[in-house]
Parts: sequence; C-alpha cells; structure tokens
Amino acid sequence: MGKPEAISAIPAVDSHALISRLRAVLPSPSLLALPEETKPYECDGLSAFREVPLAVALPEDEAQVAAVLKVCHEMRVPVVARGAGTGLSGGALPNPLGVTLGLSKMKRILHIDPLARTARVQPGVRNLAISEAAAPLGLYYAPDPSSQIACSIGGNIAENSGGVHCLKYGLTVHNILKLRVVTIDGEILELGGEGLDAAGYDLMALMTGSEGLLGVVTEITVKLLPKPQLARVVLAAFDSLEKAGNAVANIIGAGIIPAGLEMMDKLATRAVEQFVHAGYPLDAEAILLCESDGTPEEVAAEIERMEAVMRASGATQIRLSKDEAERLRFWSGRKAAFPAVGRLMPDYYCMDGTIPKRKLAEVLKGIAQLSEEFGLGCPNVFHAGDGNLHPLIMFDANVPGQAEHAAKFGSRILKLCIEAGGTITGEHGVGVEKIGEMCDQFTPDALETFHSVKAAFDTHGLLNPGKAVPTLHRCAEYGQMHVARGKEAFPDLPRF
Amino acid sequence: MIEQFRDTIRAATSAGRPLRIRGGGTKDFYGVSLHGDILDTRGHRGIVDYEPSELVMTVRSGTPLAEVESALAEGGQMLAFEPPRLGAGSTIGGVVASGFSGPRRAATGSARDYVLGVRVLDSAGRDLSFGGQVMKNVAGYDLSRFVAGSFGTLALVTEVSLKVLPKPEVETTLAFAMDESAAIEALNRWAGQPLPLSAAFHVDGKLAVRLSGAGAAVSAAKTRMGGEVMADDAAFWTAVRDQTHPFFAEPATLWRLSIRSTAPVLGLGLQAIEWNGSLRWVAATLPAERVHAAAQAAGGHATLYRGGDRSAGIQKLAPGVLALHQRLKQALDPAGVFGPGRMHPAF
Amino acid sequence: METHLADFIKDTPEGQEAEAILRRCVHCGFCTATCPTYQLLGDELDGPRGRIYLIKQVLEGSPATESTQLHLDRCLTCRSCETTCPSGVEYGKLVDIGRKVVDDQVGRPAMEGVKRKAMSTVLSSPSLFSPALAAGRAFGGLLPEALRKKIPAAQRADAWPAPTNARRMVVLEGCVQPSLSPNINAATARVLDRIGISLVKAPQAGCCGAVAFHMNYQDDGRDHMRRNIDAWLPLLDGGAETIVMTASGCGSTVKEYGHHLAHDATYAPRAERISKATRDLTEVLAAESDKLVAMLEKAVAGKPRRKLAFHSPCSLQHGQQIRGKAEALLTAAGYDLTPVPDGHLCCGSAGTYSLLQPELSQQLLANKVQALTSGGPEGVATANIGCLTHIQTGMKQPVRHWVEWIDERM
Repeated sequence: MGKPEAISAIPAVDSHALISRLRAVLPSPSLLALPEETKPYECDGLSAFREVPLAVALPEDEAQVAAVLKVCHEMRVPVVARGAGTGLSGGALPNPLGVTLGLSKMKRILHIDPLARTARVQPGVRNLAISEAAAPLGLYYAPDPSSQIACSIGGNIAENSGGVHCLKYGLTVHNILKLRVVTIDGEILELGGEGLDAAGYDLMALMTGSEGLLGVVTEITVKLLPKPQLARVVLAAFDSLEKAGNAVANIIGAGIIPAGLEMMDKLATRAVEQFVHAGYPLDAEAILLCESDGTPEEVAAEIERMEAVMRASGATQIRLSKDEAERLRFWSGRKAAFPAVGRLMPDYYCMDGTIPKRKLAEVLKGIAQLSEEFGLGCPNVFHAGDGNLHPLIMFDANVPGQAEHAAKFGSRILKLCIEAGGTITGEHGVGVEKIGEMCDQFTPDALETFHSVKAAFDTHGLLNPGKAVPTLHRCAEYGQMHVARGKEAFPDLPRF
Repeated sequence: MIEQFRDTIRAATSAGRPLRIRGGGTKDFYGVSLHGDILDTRGHRGIVDYEPSELVMTVRSGTPLAEVESALAEGGQMLAFEPPRLGAGSTIGGVVASGFSGPRRAATGSARDYVLGVRVLDSAGRDLSFGGQVMKNVAGYDLSRFVAGSFGTLALVTEVSLKVLPKPEVETTLAFAMDESAAIEALNRWAGQPLPLSAAFHVDGKLAVRLSGAGAAVSAAKTRMGGEVMADDAAFWTAVRDQTHPFFAEPATLWRLSIRSTAPVLGLGLQAIEWNGSLRWVAATLPAERVHAAAQAAGGHATLYRGGDRSAGIQKLAPGVLALHQRLKQALDPAGVFGPGRMHPAF
Repeated sequence: METHLADFIKDTPEGQEAEAILRRCVHCGFCTATCPTYQLLGDELDGPRGRIYLIKQVLEGSPATESTQLHLDRCLTCRSCETTCPSGVEYGKLVDIGRKVVDDQVGRPAMEGVKRKAMSTVLSSPSLFSPALAAGRAFGGLLPEALRKKIPAAQRADAWPAPTNARRMVVLEGCVQPSLSPNINAATARVLDRIGISLVKAPQAGCCGAVAFHMNYQDDGRDHMRRNIDAWLPLLDGGAETIVMTASGCGSTVKEYGHHLAHDATYAPRAERISKATRDLTEVLAAESDKLVAMLEKAVAGKPRRKLAFHSPCSLQHGQQIRGKAEALLTAAGYDLTPVPDGHLCCGSAGTYSLLQPELSQQLLANKVQALTSGGPEGVATANIGCLTHIQTGMKQPVRHWVEWIDERM
C-alpha cells in the first residue's frame, strides 16, 4: 500500500545525538536502535503500512516516559506511542524520523478497589488481564475489543475501543474515570477523578480516542462492573443477509438492548469454524449472535423474546448456548474472526465503517457488488447492534498491485458508509489508513478546528504526526486523486 | 435561524462583545459569572430525525426538553441520564451545555455519555459538525462530547444527536432506615453485585433505592435486598431529579461534591447522597477551602451549586490543567466571545 | 503477510516451508498475550510476532546477528502462541528453521559451543547421564547451582508387572527419566496391567531426539530418531498396538518424526508410521477410561478427597493440544484439582532452557510455583519429567507424574 502522507515538515535530526541522549535516560534493554531490532516494530496490526523508526524506547515507568518526551521535545523529534501493536488503522505506524515509545513494559495492575469498583492500571496492561484480575471479586472491565486478549488498555484509550458488548455497556470513554497523561514537554497531568465527573472541561472525552496525538497516558483508573449472574447467547441462522439485518432492527425496535448483537456472513463463519469448532451453521448466509445477561429469570424471559423476534424475522435455525463454555466458544469464534481469515488468504484489510442500522441491508448489498467489481473476496463480520461493519477485504500482498487494489476497494466501502449517513471509523481509529477519507467526512473548517485543538496540546506537532487528522494540503491532493468520482472534495483549496 | 445566529456571532466577534448563550435560562443560577448579550436559542427548535429502532434522536438545540421527552415517550424510550428539569423552559441545548445528569447517572451514564454528535457555530460563525448519528464514531477528536458540559463557552450548539434507550419494563423503589455511613456502605456493596439499581437517594436517615429492568430481575432483587416498597415512588424520583425535593428547596447555599463513592461521611453539614455514594450534596454555608479540601481528599471536586460567593465556589485546577483549559478555550474561541468567565474566571 | 525470501533459501524445502508459515501470519499480535517471555520482558523482540519478524528478516537476506540469536535463544519453544494463533501459524516449525539459519551464520563462541554440545550429548544418552547423575549426587558441591538444585535424591521404582497380557504397548524409556524418576514408567506399567495391557521396553531405543534437535544439533537429533524407529518397528510388527509416551516432551517430538524425516526417502514412511502409532499416556488411559474410572472410583470410595494442582506441560497442552484428559482421571481418582492461574504459561523448564537461560527460567518458575500453590494443594501432578524436576526445585510439596498419583490410589 502507498506510503503515508509525507509525514510533516519536521526536519531530520542527528540520530546519534538523539540516541545518546535517550541512552542517558533509559536502562539499556529499554532502548533499541539497531536496524534489525527496530524493524520488527515497523508496523502494528495493519501490516500493509510499514516504516522503521530511528529508535524504539521501552520505558519502565512514568518518569522514564517523561524523560523520553522531554528529550524528543527539546530535539524536535516526533514520538509515536505504541501499546500492544494490535491496532488496525496503523495508528502506531512509526515515524521514520522519530521515536516509537512502547508502553509494553508498563503493565502492572497497581490497585483494585473492590468496594469502589475501580482498578488503577498502567497503560501496558492487557484489556483481558484487568477482567481476569477482577474476576475473583465478581467484577470485570466491560469494553471487550476482539483483540482483548492482547491489546493494551493504553491503546484502548487512544482508540476509544469498543467491542462486542458495547451496545449495552458502552465504549472505553464510558468506562474510565481518571487518567495520568504526560504531555509532549514532559509535564504530568491528572485528568478526570475518582468521582463520576471532574471540574472544568471534559478532557477525558478529548483524550479518549485521540490516537496518541495529544499526550501519552501513563496510568488509567477504570470502572469495574459486577459480573452478570448469567449470560446466554442465541445463535440464529438466516438464509439472507437482508433478513439478518432486519432481525437486528426488529430486536432493537422491540425495546431489547442485547448485551451483544453480532453478525457474521457465510465466508467469515467458515473461516472461523476451522479454528474454534464452535459448531456454527456453515450453510447459512448470515448468523446472528445475540446475548442476554442478568439474573436467570431475566435472561430466560429476554431470551424468549429474542427468539420470538428472530423467528418472526425469518431465522432458519436457532440455537441457545447450553453452558458457559459454549457461550465463550460462540464469542471466541467471533473475536478470532479477523485473524482466522488468514487461513483463507495471506492478507486482509479490515474496514470499520458505521452506518444507521436501517441502511444495513442496502450497504451490505453495495459491498457485495464492489467485491465483484474488484474481484476480491470480502467476508463481513460486524457489531450489528451498533451498525458497525467490519468488511474484511482479502488479498495477497505478494501479488503486485493487489494491496493497492484492496485499498481502493476499502475506500469505496467507506464512501458508501458516509453516503448512508455513517462514519468511516466506528472503533479502529483513523490512523494512517483512513486519513484520506477524513477529507470526505469533515469540512476543511472542521479539520482546521481539530488542528487548533492539537496545537493546544502539542505546539510543534511532534506527537504522532501525520495520523488521525489530515492536513488541508493532504486533502487537496486527495481531492485531486478522487476527482474522477465526480464531485471534487475540496474545490476551493489551492493545489500544490 | 442558523444565518441569524451566525450574524449575531460575527457581529459580537468583530465588536469584541461577549455573548451569553441561553435557552430557557433555568440554569442562570449556576456558574461563576454571567455577562454578555443574550443569544436566545429558543427560536431554533424541532426534532430533525428520530427513528426508535436506531436509538438515536437528532434535535435542534432550542427545542424544549419537554417536547423531546414526550416524543421519546411515544416511542417507549427516554433520555437515560434523566436530565434535571430545573424549570418549565429547559431546552435540550441547555441540557447538553450544562452536562447535568439525574438520578440514573450512576447506573446508565451521564449526559455527555449519550451525546453522539453535535452541529455548532464557532466564534468565526463557521458551521461545523462533529461526531454523527451513529452509535460508534471515532473519526477526529471527540469534540461533540467535549462541548457537553462546557456551558456555551466554546461554541454555540445548534443541533445535537443523542443516544436514547428503551424505558425499563418495571420500576420499583425500596426504602430503608439507615444512617449515612451505613447507606454509603450498602450502596457500594449493592453496586458491586449484579442488581438492577437505577437510582439512590439518602437524606435524613432514610435511603431510597430504585430498581429498574425486567420484571423478573426487579422482583428477584427486591427479595434479596429487603426494605420497604415505597408507594408513589415515581413522584419521589421526579422530585429528586428535578431538585424539587424539600432537601433542595431549603438551603440558601448548596455544595455539590463529586467524589469516590466509598468516601466516608464528610461531616460538613446536612447532606444528601446520590449516585451510589459518589455524589454528595451539602446544604451548609462553609468556607470554600474546607469543602474543596474535603472533596480533594476524597478523590474528587466540589462546586458551589447554588448561593454564596460564586467565584470562590469552583474547585482550583492544577496549574498545568488550568493552562491547558486556557489554551483550549483560545483554540476554539479565539475571539473569546462565548460566555467568558461563566465556568472559570480564567477562561 | 508479504514475503520476499532470499535466493539462498527460497527454493529449499526449509525455505518453502518457512514461506508458507510466514504467509499465514497476519501480524495481529494475539500471540504476544500468551507468550511467557513477552509477558516478562514486554519487548516485541521477545514475543512470537517479533521473533517471526526477526526470522523473516534473515530469510529475506538480512545478515543475522547475535542480537537476533539472543532473542531466538530466549524463546522457550513452548508453543503457547500456536494455541492462541487464530491464523494457524506453525511457529514451532518456523523457529526450528530460523534457529538453524541464524546459528549457521552467527556461530557460537568456542566455550559456549563446547558446553552446549556436551549438554546435548550427556542429556541425550542414558548411559552417560546415569553415571553423571550418580557423580552429581556424590559431588554436588562441584556443580553450578542451577544444575545442582535439579538433582533429586535417588528414587526407588516399585515392581514392574510381568508381561502376561495379550494386549501390549511399548514404552519409550527416555534419556533422563529412567535415572531421575524410574518409578514413572513402573507406575505406568502397573496401571496399564490392571486394565489388561502389558507395557514392554525397547532396549535399543534411547532419547527421542528432542534435546539435540532443539539445541540445533539437528542432524544428531535425526540420528536419534532413526535409531528409535529401528528399535520400535519390529515391536509394532510383533503386535504391540501403541508406543506410549510418559513424558509429554518426548511425545510431542515423536509425533513429529514424520515431519522431521520427511526429506529422508528411506525413513520418511517409517517415521510416519511411528508417529501415527504414538500416544501420550493421557490419550492411552483416556481411551480406556470406562474401565479405569470404574476401578478408580471403587478404589477411592469412602476415602477423603485430596487436593492437587495439575501443571499441564507445554508439550502436552500446546505441542500436542491435549487438554482435560489427565485432569479427568485425577478427579476420578479422588483428587480435587485446585485452580491454577495462567495455566497456559510455561514453568521455565523447557528442555535445556533452564540451564541456558537461568534468569528468565527462574522468574517463570517463581511465577509458576506461586500459581500452583495458590489453591493450597498437597502436591503437584504433571506429565513431563523436565517440568517435574524443575518445579520441584521451587517448592516443598511433592511434584510427581500424574500416573504416580493415580497408581498410589489403586
């Protein structure tokens, strides 16, 4: 896939001087500067974009984070924060002129308060590790992105990650109380509080989902929720995507908010069944996974209503998870769906558009047409209850031109989402991958506003430059590229 | 209407005269200082889009809250954060700008949590949209949630998209005789169990706990928790939500403390507890430093909600955080026309 | 993942195998979550995804260095990553190829080379290991501490029943197990005898080949494999139904003989036959569980239940993907298994790893002992001699092969 936007106007730095200054503030295993050591950091979960950083810093505590940032600030060197490197939008793609700041050594759970139902953790703690640690107390951390086994809570803050249960329990932004943040000049700020709101502006909302452009999070206080007494999943099969899509609208329309409501199409189901052996029906065009949680009585009543709606919506088969092991197996299939596609094709490109649910069937049909037009397979896995689509465009990066072809396909899907009144990213972030489509979604004025916000945190634009928010220059180029599609995106901007 | 707002804003910007954005004016009592020419939003009203199965309503900011709530009720839905209705004229724009949330907040989230997107006019009169009409959207900084609770000091919100939820099937309220300390302990313990708590209010040795959800869940919880079933509880919660309960009516000075839910009894004076212990109301005339210190020690902050010396009533921000607020205000409202000083003397 | 293998390896069998494995990897990073060394060190280079990248660089023609060698050395080859990987990346096979290429390019300092070769030779050979162990017991004070702690007191094996049953199975004696813990195979023979199966030895067989192979003396390892094949085939021809593995580490290797000797025209089919006839003891007994469970339940009826922690060796749960079988039999034998947090993580033994990477190994051991003892068991049951001796160095409660715990109850 093409190189990202020419990163910015930041001049190259004397890398020897930089490395010797970093060496002075970091223990030796925490600084990687040999090419063979930095190369494995060249990409995150989106391996189509790759850049080798000047150095990788792996600080062990907040003081080292602040020290690294100070050095970089003084030397005007870009810094790209990285958690577990599982992101799917290239948010942790290194800057070739910068330092990758990995938080993976900071992974201690500092404190769990069972009565106040909070956990204070370092940014490198794995999402799932929080729930595992809280489990003996009957508590858990609700947002569960599909990569939750590996992804870090710091990365979740940067992306405002969702997950299969966020329809009912919210996104990351709804489940955190307090952050410690180091700014680019090394100052430590405490945002939020242990209460449910804080004085002043809602800086927690601004930091969450800011993709590492505003500050580096070094400590997070998350809310923990009581584990429901019982959860069960209804698995329903449908003979058309349209019927499955309508079933989703019907369930919500019936006043039910399922704990999770997910859809997989036939291709995705088949890929994943090879790995999890969950017993998914392989001949269905689409399956829905619909979870109910609560007290046993409540679950029984809700499941009955869900099944009735599914049946009325044309489900050809309905199964109910018989025990906790089977419930987890149903979900593990869904959660492993992206990488499992690696069994079908060497590479995939995961999209993340969100649309109003009523447009589900229409957009899916559009994607199927595009799949034929581009000649690339495209299984669909998605958070149906939220209208958050994850089409997985399959390709083979070893075939020349195919990665670019896949990227074009992806871009067309995102345009479909915008046209349907949706957005180009529901939970994976813009990163470097959807930077062009940002120009479709926002007006130049809105983008300028984003840049003003960025400047309030990071005057010199050193934190994760070139990601999340495109420069207007970039949009002008992008507009030119897309002029063939009829409407020019930014006709009044000067072309360079 | 947007054109008219834009002209007003541009005129104010070029004249360097501040504007005071106002809907029904039901929260005029709150904040540090009010000055500037009033920009009345109430002419810009109406529901733009509402489809119950989408769980989203898009509405113009001047729309009366009552109109929004009755439309939602027809769809069997509600604003889950139960914004307080502090007067008949309350508008949805004011609800978002204040970010105030009611009794259900601890269980289901705050006003800001339900904001999905906003359309605003900035101080240059530019018409900007952030967020959207869908449940999940992480494109760009989350300015739509950021403006929630900013009291019209960053931009004029002209339209807002809110997530809405179905009304619970059943609600019932249990009453307990308990002192403050026991109530704090009990609420936190219950909140750590899978019980359908949706509100709590403790004052004067009496704790009321509301349960909401499926009939089966509510009745199971009732058996488990004990207490007396409260009659006419809907009216009780309306009074708590809208702050017409006698506790709110009496005091000349009312402090609001948002703190760690498990913080022990503060001993500052007559107190009411909400949000499972994390919201404490103190009805007493006290030195601001004392209240702020108590809140800070409990991991949170205190605000003088009503009465007293408004400018001394806000919790001090750490210097770095204050400077960041000033830079953000400058970034979003460089002309400084939107309600300067309403939230803080420094921005 | 996109790959462009260099000419030196592209068209070799190893190169083709490596490329097929690499292309399955989609770089999702799930594997890092369950990698013991990544969890300790928090560096991409010490997790499977980073090691795959390091190997890929070398196979694409970048010269290997000591840094790459170090990160590959730190890998335990526990294959926990393979259990986690949704894309089906066969990391274990890839790291074998990568290590060979890297060691060929980088070499080892002379002394280290001697040490590794000696370790490989002694540990692989019962005739060398047994006297060495006796000497170690006698002159323990002269040994390095990591090794000294591993030397258990001499053990007695109870009686081995005479082979009177019509059904017969062959047991791999192994290299270190007969000297360190002779009772394991004897207990296996007694349990099998009770359900009508005689367990016989194959005197010519020796080490399964894993020790040498994983220390990168791959040719030595293959020689061991051929020798075992030659020793076992006549017994299979003579009616033995299965080759039983009482050490899961060996089982995981013997089951892959077919793979390791795939390019040896003479031995490939024989190796395949041996691999197909090989079963871990858990599988053998689980297949007979109707009979066995009834006997166990009868034996423990009325007796108080006892608390044990089960440590599933990586070679059992990841290498052979066997889970729950030994646990079910122990439960039937009157033991309540205590919960063990992070049961998927390696104990740090990992063949010769505890000797070559003592620091990481000791950290993993400390974590493992804490996890195993957290439920307050009277002892630990496991399924591999390496884990057994290693874990025993970290705790007072007895660590024994699970079949010994079962034998004791019958």
